[in-house]
This record gives sequence, C-alpha cells and structure tokens, in this order.
Amino acid sequence: MSDLELERSVSAALHRDLPVDERAKARIMSRVREASHAAPRRHDFHLRRGTRHSIVGLALAAGIGSVTTLSALLPAPASADASVSSVVLGDTVVSTLRDTLRLVRLMFADPEARRVAVVGDFNGWRSDATPLVREPGTSHWSVTLALRDGQHRYAFVVDGTRWAPDPSAQRRGMDDGRVYSLLNVARATN
Amino acid sequence: MVDLSDHAIIQRVLSGDVEAYARLVDRHYARCVRIAARILGNREDAEDAIQETFLRAFHALGDYEDRERFSAWLTSILVNQCRSQLARTRRREAVFPDVDPLDVDWTAGDGTGASPWPELEHALARLPADQREALVLKYADDLTYQEMARITGAGESALKMRVQRAFARLRALLREVPSV
Repeated sequence: MSDLELERSVSAALHRDLPVDERAKARIMSRVREASHAAPRRHDFHLRRGTRHSIVGLALAAGIGSVTTLSALLPAPASADASVSSVVLGDTVVSTLRDTLRLVRLMFADPEARRVAVVGDFNGWRSDATPLVREPGTSHWSVTLALRDGQHRYAFVVDGTRWAPDPSAQRRGMDDGRVYSLLNVARATN
Repeated sequence: MVDLSDHAIIQRVLSGDVEAYARLVDRHYARCVRIAARILGNREDAEDAIQETFLRAFHALGDYEDRERFSAWLTSILVNQCRSQLARTRRREAVFPDVDPLDVDWTAGDGTGASPWPELEHALARLPADQREALVLKYADDLTYQEMARITGAGESALKMRVQRAFARLRALLREVPSV
C-alpha cells in the first residue's frame, strides 16, 4: 500500500460515522435542563424551588411575558459620591474603590412585582443586598448603583423568586445555566 | 425548520431558550462520537466524555466568542474531556490492555455495516495516545494544524511529527496483522 493509499484509507476509516445513541443525546439535554434550573454554584443567590418559580423564571429568562426593563447610565460624575455608594456596596468596598466609582441607574418595570432587587458580582449575588425602589404611582422600579470601572454581571430578582436578565442589555452571558446581563462601566460611556 | 447558524442558536440559548441547545447537540453529536470513540477506544467512555463536554459547553456558552468556529471550540472541550477520561482509566499509554479493538462496535452509523478496514481499525486503536489523538483530529475532524495546535496546546511542527510517526507506526502494525 502506497503512502497515499494508506492516508486515504485512514481518512475514510476515521470519517465513518459511528452509531448514535439517541438516548445519550436525550440524557445530555436532561442534564442541561437540570443545570438551567439549578442555582449558580459560585453565587450565594438561592431561589425557592417550586412550579411557579420554574415556569415564570424560565419565561422571564427568555425575555417572554409582561416584564419590560429600562436601563440607563447616568453621566459619569467626576468623582463618585460615597454617601450614595455606601447604600449599595457597603463601606468597605466603597472606601477602596471610591476613586473609580461611577453612578449607574438601573430601571425595571413590572406592574405585578411586589419587590425587586438586583443581584450581581458587585454585591455577591445576594438578593437582599440591593433592592430597587418603586417610583410612586408607576410600575417602574429603580436603583442607583456606584460601580467601579469594568464589566459587571447582573440580573433582577422579582418577589424573591423570579430571576430575570435585563432584556435591554446589549450583552448577555450564562453561568451554570443561568442567564445574566453584562454591563460595561467606564468613564463617560457604557 | 429554519436552519439556524451555530451563532444564532447560541444567541437564542443565551437569551434563555434552553431548548434551542438541543439543536447544537443534534448537529455536533455524531462528529463528537467519531472523535471521542476513536481517541478513547470504547463507546461507553466516549459517551461519558461527550455528555460532560456538552454540559461544560452549555455552562461556558457566555464565554464563547464567535471569532472561533463553534465546532473547534467544542472539540477543544471534548479533547480535554477525553484526556481526563484517559487519565482516569489509566489508559494513556495503552488504551486497550483488556479490550480487543476488533470487539468494539465500529459499525457505521449510516447503516452500511461493519468497517471495511478491520486491520486498519485494529492498528489505529493500538497507536500511542498522542499519535492517535493527532490523527483523529486531522482526519476525523478535518482540522488544520493551526487549529489542532490551539486545541491540543502542542506546536504545529510537533503535531506534524506525531502524524508522520503515526503513519509509520500504522505501517509497522499492519505488517504484523495477517490478512483476513
């Protein structure tokens, strides 16, 4: 057998498709679905498990339903105001980062929400750390954050059980099956 | 059904449509079987590695950047999983200490039956792991040496040498196997 013949035989042998077990493919998707419902491993955020959460949470994660979200960056101040920052981040973080903090206003609209919070890498993904405040007479919720420069991952949590990425965010990512939004914070731009 | 690109499917998954991921699994599963079964030498280990690969890819989908082909990105995860599997089963140097590769089901998935190259299959399975991996990536997945280098972490010249040595070894092994 010549070198060329051997190479052709190897190529043909290795190109042959082997039997595919459809059950194995189904097992993969089963694990993917489980992962998409599981709480992120690296985060402290814990959701109450239940049918209502699963259905509504998935719908929100997919950007489906009545929830709309408005996000906007306020013009970056020359220096961050520590009094605002301390509400959001805590004194320790603010005191070390105050020179690079920018004010960011997040808005969220949901007429049925009773409480809304933002979770993200800036608050340890704790759903009790950064509540949004409802604007009187409207369905709009908002919070002003003081964030350091760089990229931040975040999502909203509605009524303590529903996870909702920001549909208006330009970029999204996924970690352990949970979709989050990405926010770039930098001087005079987002 | 619209034939979405990998990139479009990934965007849907990242938007929360988890079920869209099934289309990526469907599209790339057979190719992964081709690679993993050849590298690992048995279907059970291959399916474990593939399952873990798709799960890890799902978790890491937010980090995927479309300047790289999704298939190549997936293959890089798969190769790492295969290596871990090999390490776990202590078969890196000799993949088939107990199992005769001729007993492994190399029946084609397209219904064309058993391999027409049983001696070659036997010889491929007896290659050293690094040579077999290089040969599989080049011929089962049609990767360029540049892509292979990115996936394996080895240099292009080292990979070319592995392929060259693999062919030399195959020749020697085929001479040992009596004609059927």
